Amino acid sequence: MTMKNLITKIITLSLMGSFVLGVAGCSTKGNNAAAPAAESTLDQSVWVVGLDDLFAPMGFRDEKGEIVGFDVDIAKAIGEKLEKEIQFQPINWDMKESELNAGNIDLIWNGYTITDERKEKVSFSVPYLDNKQVIVTLAASDIKAKADLAGKRVGAQSESSAVSAMEKDSALYQSFDGGKAITFEDNNQALMDLEAGRLDAVVADEILLRYYITLKGQEKFTVLDENFGDEQYGVGIRKDDSRMVDAFNAAYAELKEDGTLKAISEKWFGEDITK
Amino acid sequence: MDNLITFLDYFKMLMPQVISGLLITLQIFSLTLIFSIPLGVLIALGRLSKLKILKAITGTYILILRGTPLLLQIIFIFFGLPLIGITLDRLPAALFAITLNYGAYFAEIFRAGIRSIDKGQYEGAEVLGLSPKDTFFRIIFPQALKRVLPPVGNEVVTLIKDTALVYILGLDDLLKVGKIAANRDATLLPLVIIAGIYLLLTYFLTKFMTGFETKYDYYQ
Repeated sequence: MTMKNLITKIITLSLMGSFVLGVAGCSTKGNNAAAPAAESTLDQSVWVVGLDDLFAPMGFRDEKGEIVGFDVDIAKAIGEKLEKEIQFQPINWDMKESELNAGNIDLIWNGYTITDERKEKVSFSVPYLDNKQVIVTLAASDIKAKADLAGKRVGAQSESSAVSAMEKDSALYQSFDGGKAITFEDNNQALMDLEAGRLDAVVADEILLRYYITLKGQEKFTVLDENFGDEQYGVGIRKDDSRMVDAFNAAYAELKEDGTLKAISEKWFGEDITK
Repeated sequence: MDNLITFLDYFKMLMPQVISGLLITLQIFSLTLIFSIPLGVLIALGRLSKLKILKAITGTYILILRGTPLLLQIIFIFFGLPLIGITLDRLPAALFAITLNYGAYFAEIFRAGIRSIDKGQYEGAEVLGLSPKDTFFRIIFPQALKRVLPPVGNEVVTLIKDTALVYILGLDDLLKVGKIAANRDATLLPLVIIAGIYLLLTYFLTKFMTGFETKYDYYQ
């Protein structure tokens, strides 16, 4: 009988324990975190920009640990224009659309390539930057053209548009060693694998690749003339939030007009490459 | 010599970020321990209970939590729970998932510990007129706790490294800080520094656990 009492107490305690833990979790929830998404992001006073803080030079952390980058500067300028407070939330790139749809973030903004698959999950702003999916090999490699990639080991970032671009060229993609690309959590890992000689080529965003090649030493790599197609970067907005898309695009056009974008582009790339 | 100076400069530059990452790692680590050890004891008691229903519930709990990857559990709790109306922020979600998971492992360790106590101990307590509650908390559990210290230490050391899984929620823990720097500077150096810090943490934890074991090593 007393043993039973003890057990009853234990059950009650454990239930209370898990309840308290759960409630404590809920109560520490930030104001912006996953509140049921407002009708339109435009009505919110705070916009949370989701970015992969590993993605130099678009959005990354500088030596002091601050989030900086080309996209970060534009986001701040847009926030100023529309009088919104901009917050930056690091996310895992594999989870970006889940984060947006769960309302944890309001914008995906980190060299986010506009693709047809993504258009089914999010709405895009106007494109703001041109990009290419380029092929990089070691300088001594005998890969000179796209067709030479058949039977070779090709790397890319997981869930990146590089993978989608290669998949579109399905005959070539399936001819890779292993029948598909080898994917990594970030581009730096893919490039390290290339340097180690276990990969024959890496496919990645041109803008990002140029950044790494400059850091690692230009003489070590060759960027092929052929590529996996042109593409554009856009900002991901919750699907069907057309008021937000319109307001965003209008603000962007104003920034283009008044030269703010030109200044930001020159700061990061030495020239104006914005659209 | 020049290399050493470059390394030291780099180390100095990286330090503030490393400390902020370390704080996240230690926060998750310590809070998980605080919550999951009592949780483990409770579940172990459920497993040992004579009530079939309690046995079945805790058995299922352990099966699910030990039978699926921790990374998946973190994803489910952060991205899945909002679908049924429970929304947790990043850190609490990570904490909740890791606590539930480690509770299951601790439960099995404690169950083994409690089971290992000789039947004579219960009989002795009964003869002395101790209540079942006193028998458990004053006689059985303290002895069981002593016996399970080595496997608990094992889990504790694993936990400090498992905290790195919170990267999936975008939390900048120690390992993530290293990866950010490795990406920015295109070098493995920050990861070497981070490895050194994990090693140091594990060293002190091991020392601490050994000290603990020695302290409670009477009767032997």
